[in-house]
Amino acid sequence: MDFTFSPEHVALRRMIREFAETEVAPIAAEIDREHKVPHDVLHKLGQIGLLGVCFPQEYGGMGAGEAGYCILMEELGRVCTSTATNVGAHIGIGAMAIHLDGSEEQKRKYLVPLARGEKMAAFGLTESNAGSDAANIRTRAVREGDSWILDGGKVYITNGGYAHVITVMAVTDPALGARGGVTAFIVETDWPGFKVAREEDKMGIRGTSTAELVFEELRVPHENVLGKVGEGFVAFMRSLDMGRLTLGAAGLGGAQAALEWSVRWAKTRKQFGTELANKQSVQWMIANLATEIEALRSLVYRVAWMVDAHQPFTQLAAMCKMYGSEVGSRAIDVALQIHGGLGYTRDFPIERAFRDARIAEIFEGTNEIQRIVIASNIFRDYGVRIRP
Amino acid sequence: MADMSYLDLLMAQQEEVSEAEGGGGGIWVVADVVDGAVAPVTLEALGAARTLAGALGAYVYGVVLGEDVADLSATLYQAGADGVRVADHPALAQFALEPYLKVLSDLFEAEKPEVILFGATPAGQELAARLAQRMGGGLIEHVTSASLDESTRTVQGAFPIYGGEYFEVVACPEARPQFLTVEPGAFSAPFLDPYRKGEPKMLEVEPGEPAVRVVGPAGGFEPLAVPLAQAPVIVAAGRQAGDFELVKQLAARLGAQVAGDRGARDAGWIGAEQIVDVRGVTVAPQVYVAVGIRGDTFHNAAMEGARFIVAIHPDPTAPIFQVADLCLEAEPKDVLPALLEALG
Amino acid sequence: MPNIIVLIGRVLDPSGIVFNRRAGRLFVNREEYLLQPADRCALEAALRIKEAGRPKESPSAEVVALPRTLLPDDDVLRQAVATGADRAIYLAGQVANADDALMARVLAAVVERLGGADLVLTGATTLDTGQGQLGPRLAEALGWPQIVDVWHVEAADGRVRAVRKGKDGFVAVEADLPAVVTVLPGVLKPRYPDGARLINVYRGVKEMANALEQWDVADLVEAQALKPLVERRGQEFPAERERGARVSGTPAQMAQTVAEALRQRVRR
Repeated sequence: MDFTFSPEHVALRRMIREFAETEVAPIAAEIDREHKVPHDVLHKLGQIGLLGVCFPQEYGGMGAGEAGYCILMEELGRVCTSTATNVGAHIGIGAMAIHLDGSEEQKRKYLVPLARGEKMAAFGLTESNAGSDAANIRTRAVREGDSWILDGGKVYITNGGYAHVITVMAVTDPALGARGGVTAFIVETDWPGFKVAREEDKMGIRGTSTAELVFEELRVPHENVLGKVGEGFVAFMRSLDMGRLTLGAAGLGGAQAALEWSVRWAKTRKQFGTELANKQSVQWMIANLATEIEALRSLVYRVAWMVDAHQPFTQLAAMCKMYGSEVGSRAIDVALQIHGGLGYTRDFPIERAFRDARIAEIFEGTNEIQRIVIASNIFRDYGVRIRP
Repeated sequence: MADMSYLDLLMAQQEEVSEAEGGGGGIWVVADVVDGAVAPVTLEALGAARTLAGALGAYVYGVVLGEDVADLSATLYQAGADGVRVADHPALAQFALEPYLKVLSDLFEAEKPEVILFGATPAGQELAARLAQRMGGGLIEHVTSASLDESTRTVQGAFPIYGGEYFEVVACPEARPQFLTVEPGAFSAPFLDPYRKGEPKMLEVEPGEPAVRVVGPAGGFEPLAVPLAQAPVIVAAGRQAGDFELVKQLAARLGAQVAGDRGARDAGWIGAEQIVDVRGVTVAPQVYVAVGIRGDTFHNAAMEGARFIVAIHPDPTAPIFQVADLCLEAEPKDVLPALLEALG
Repeated sequence: MPNIIVLIGRVLDPSGIVFNRRAGRLFVNREEYLLQPADRCALEAALRIKEAGRPKESPSAEVVALPRTLLPDDDVLRQAVATGADRAIYLAGQVANADDALMARVLAAVVERLGGADLVLTGATTLDTGQGQLGPRLAEALGWPQIVDVWHVEAADGRVRAVRKGKDGFVAVEADLPAVVTVLPGVLKPRYPDGARLINVYRGVKEMANALEQWDVADLVEAQALKPLVERRGQEFPAERERGARVSGTPAQMAQTVAEALRQRVRR
């Protein structure tokens, strides 16, 4: 067992950390306050190849694997959850779907510009009646000659307000439902019939676009079917699996930031004649937090290794997402308590991080769904098929 | 001052310094000339040279290069030089590397010094490094203190690491000459004895051609802006600063960036991006001058990492005085004008 | 095809070091190395010169990275290549405590053996030791002119032009190539490495497979030149910091005390 990162990953982390501290951290408060997507930063990330970090170099990517992608998400999550979310939706579910299931032509046409950051991606699954119950989507796609006509809409689509390319799930055969009746389509957002209806005004990750999309007779050419007709569900499950791991990595980064802030404040802030760091209650909070972070770190990078080694990882990826989001929330809660009143003011980054952290337990598959996935896998190993 | 006139009588015999023949060895100081006078760092170097010379039993020599600089030799004798060489030539009027290098190279090839000291000035640094390489000597730059390893006649020079977190002591045990550049202000200037005089030796020089040509002022060159968080010197104002113009003048005089606490922002003196506070910018400069800042926890936590802190505030109980190295319990409006004058 | 050579070094990140004045010792809590900041500016300057093209010379210059001192591994050089240097040469050798005098001789031999270089760029000072002698020493060893402490540098038409700071502001200077130029830290914003290039350099694959070479110092200079001239004799720590020292006297006297302290510490 060799637990060291390879030299290229060490070098990659060093580069990303410097980028995150120099380019991303200074704008984190502003994009939250003004509800803006950090397009400049996304462009800079694209220029150095980070928006294609895990994709093969033949398709314009960086070839750094899942480990590289987790490092990117961790380091971005450490300074700005909003930026990490923009990047995660672009790479981890938007472009990833095309990487996993796209044909050679589709990869050449779409994956290459996405990996290079020349275009941005999103993933369109969720609808108002279909959140966790993803199979319940209603957006309809009807074949007409050599195209499909899409009607319906999506809600809560991250990057939806500005993405150029969205992988959209639509029902092609209502009778078959999830098994054989859902198809994935690559949709270009400047096609007629595609509309961004509104942007959500959110509690946190306010530096992201969370959009409601409307499709009205949106014509999609047949060559933009991603994978096989009717097998969209399989495609999306695979994308979400990959996305889960990296969400855990972003949670790791956020938790790490919370720990660093807490330690720095505890060694500076004096009350009752001594620093907070000398008080046992604070020491224990920090020790507990640091232990959880180490456990999460081991989990995330072990799963990243498994992905890169082509081993099955569904159950563990679900654990990463579930544990990562909960550790992230616990961490910022501890940080807020240690900072006291200062942490509660808007001049200080803790309150933003607190609002940002909460969504991780909800999106990308709620933690309840993650637990079902984990339990199903465990029981299946013991020969039992449980019904969620 | 007490009446020293009787001392004058005692010392009225002029001390005529003359060199021993046979030359070779000695501790040499290459003078820096600024605005037609010997630079303070040269005098400090001479002071250091005298101390070393005493322990080594060696002579101290000075060398001055320039145009119409022969008279400057008097200052070098007064500062303790036993001998002075002067290279006076129109081509040496302004510092240029190759002309100066040739003069010094020829001189030192002949004189074979044990130790050569330069001021750690731009000119001194360039000359010392090239000369050291040419003559096969070791060079210690930015020396702030020196001691002697008498058994091997080796100078041990200490210089700052990481800007002064500690000092490394280094020596050149075998190669000769030993080269050092002396940090301005690190050594004390010697007493200038007005009765110490000598006759400098004028050198015959054929300076080389300079390889670097000055084209002119770099009009329109804008250096990269240094963010406040990385500024090496900061002058910060608080509500009690009084006249903010004086604060700005002090900053300009020190080449510092201007900052402040929240009070300064409220007074409209600084922008939000200049607030030194855990809720604003955290700074870690070499020098931080707090003018009229009371210094609450949130401000102090954001500048504690400063290497040297000066605080001026009228209230003796101001918390800033717990973190500052130099505390002035005074009104800024009383101190700042005097400080500006003292800095020149 | 004239090449540009850049000397790159590394330094222990001081934020991972605790300097304990009372104990008179330093404790390295986190051993991490940074590239020398001034050397990064020198590399950035070299890359910009290469990108600006050099009229009258048809193929563009190659930027070659060399180490500033003898390093235990080639990570610094890989970083330089990842950032954009075309090649790097790692210098191997069993020489303890190599100093600038020794490196100047070794590097001059490298430059001469490489051939085709007419510009050497490096940092004007090092973050830890504050020594700026390597550039001038190398210039002397090569017999080339030098321009030190520059804020900006360009090269074209057989000349190098730079901006330095004089007494009365910024001054433009120039010299004929070949020349050695040293760049101040913080004067240029260094670029980030290209991601794919970084991965390939560290894996040693594809177009980066031959980017790094290794030369032995014993092949470059004779054995007696491999002896360093200076040796370390120890460390001294300043007195513990005394906060809260009151300055007494009239405002004018207080001002004198402060002025002296500031003059010592603030270099204009």
